[in-house]
Amino acid sequence: MTRYTRLVAAAVLLMLVAGALIFFYAPEDFLQKEPQRIFYLHVSAAIAAFACFAVVLGASIAYLRTESLRADRLARAAALVGVVLTTVTLVMGMLYAKPIWGTFWTWDARLTSTLVLWIIYAGYLLLRRLAEPGRQAARFAAVVGIFGFVDVPIVYFSVTWWRTQHPGPVIISDALPPQMLFVFLVTMACTLFLAAVMVAIRYQIETLTDEVPSPVVQLVGAQREPEPAR
Amino acid sequence: MTRSIAVAYAVARKDLTSEWRTRELVPALGQFVVLALVIANFGFQIDSQNATVIAPGVLWLALVFAGLVAFGRAFAAEREQASLEAMLLTPASAAAIFAGKAIAAALLLIACEAVLLPALALMFGTPFNAELVAAVLIATVGMAALGCLFAAMVARVRSREVLLPLLTLPLWIPFIVAGGQAVQVAMGASGSYNQAVALLIDFDILFVVLTSLAARFVLDD
Repeated sequence: MTRYTRLVAAAVLLMLVAGALIFFYAPEDFLQKEPQRIFYLHVSAAIAAFACFAVVLGASIAYLRTESLRADRLARAAALVGVVLTTVTLVMGMLYAKPIWGTFWTWDARLTSTLVLWIIYAGYLLLRRLAEPGRQAARFAAVVGIFGFVDVPIVYFSVTWWRTQHPGPVIISDALPPQMLFVFLVTMACTLFLAAVMVAIRYQIETLTDEVPSPVVQLVGAQREPEPAR
Repeated sequence: MTRSIAVAYAVARKDLTSEWRTRELVPALGQFVVLALVIANFGFQIDSQNATVIAPGVLWLALVFAGLVAFGRAFAAEREQASLEAMLLTPASAAAIFAGKAIAAALLLIACEAVLLPALALMFGTPFNAELVAAVLIATVGMAALGCLFAAMVARVRSREVLLPLLTLPLWIPFIVAGGQAVQVAMGASGSYNQAVALLIDFDILFVVLTSLAARFVLDD
């Protein structure tokens, strides 16, 4: 059993504990009934996704300053996990919205900015896939990673003059009863751990990918010259 | 500083001279935006009742896609002749070269707006006033900065035609949110024009500063 298998096993176990708490320990919401149980994972996934994108921002700035390969790999790993978690947030949010608001989607500030966030980092992943791997691709991606992080709060604040339907932060405003708060905090901790494990595994994959020379280099047997721009 | 301005001016003048001599882009863009209006007419069944509601959306859709074409072309000629590398070999700073390219591309887009805005007012019967023109021009500044940055980036990447809209459009959304609001108010909807334009100016400042900082990393090789 490698270190990574143990980490994955721990993360899966923790998520199962969180799931058990959500379904068996947390009290049923008086108004929203059963669908309210989506809340725990929905908000946790959103927070974990933001944490991932914050890592992308930090790693991108570090890459532009130092050109450290490790920072670039970390950015790549965190961006992928962040996009996955944002997808989870959006899908769970839609499932939550249908019974409570009566619609899967509404053009609210929070929803719109989360969707824009998803699009920006999906574009980031696409850029990584389409650009020739190397220094230039890493630089371009770092610029996109930084601009993407700057753009999202702007989208959020610039659409707040539209009437917002999404509830505000319930955790810091002390609106949750203690049992719900406990379940939420446990779920959030478990989700953050899961995200960290996924980033670590992805980082390892990126490291191994970087170490394998590309087929062209293997054929030529030498470092490939950077292609002239066409 | 004055050196950078001279470089930016020279690069912008070069691009505009080449456009003036070939007249490649602006006539095509002008035709494109008029076509967009024709398509909107068939898509929406424009009449005197719904025109003012639909017109701002049509304006931004046409403008955004014309912008993508204009900024995508900004680095196409440089790429085809590999002249960007030659420019970067000179002691001129990357930010100044980038500023020149962005100014030229913005002026070409403004030339296209000079067709779009009167055509929209004429064919949709919407008001054509200074507020409308000012909002669109102010939004163009920041959009040009962002658009040129990503155009410079994707010029060296495969599938650039696909990637440019994917990277640029989400980052333009703040301009479309505030610009959309400003244009709606200029066309007679209720709301605060000043607030929207103030936001546009904030975004302009933010993104012009950010892109000039990032230009070095995108252009240098």
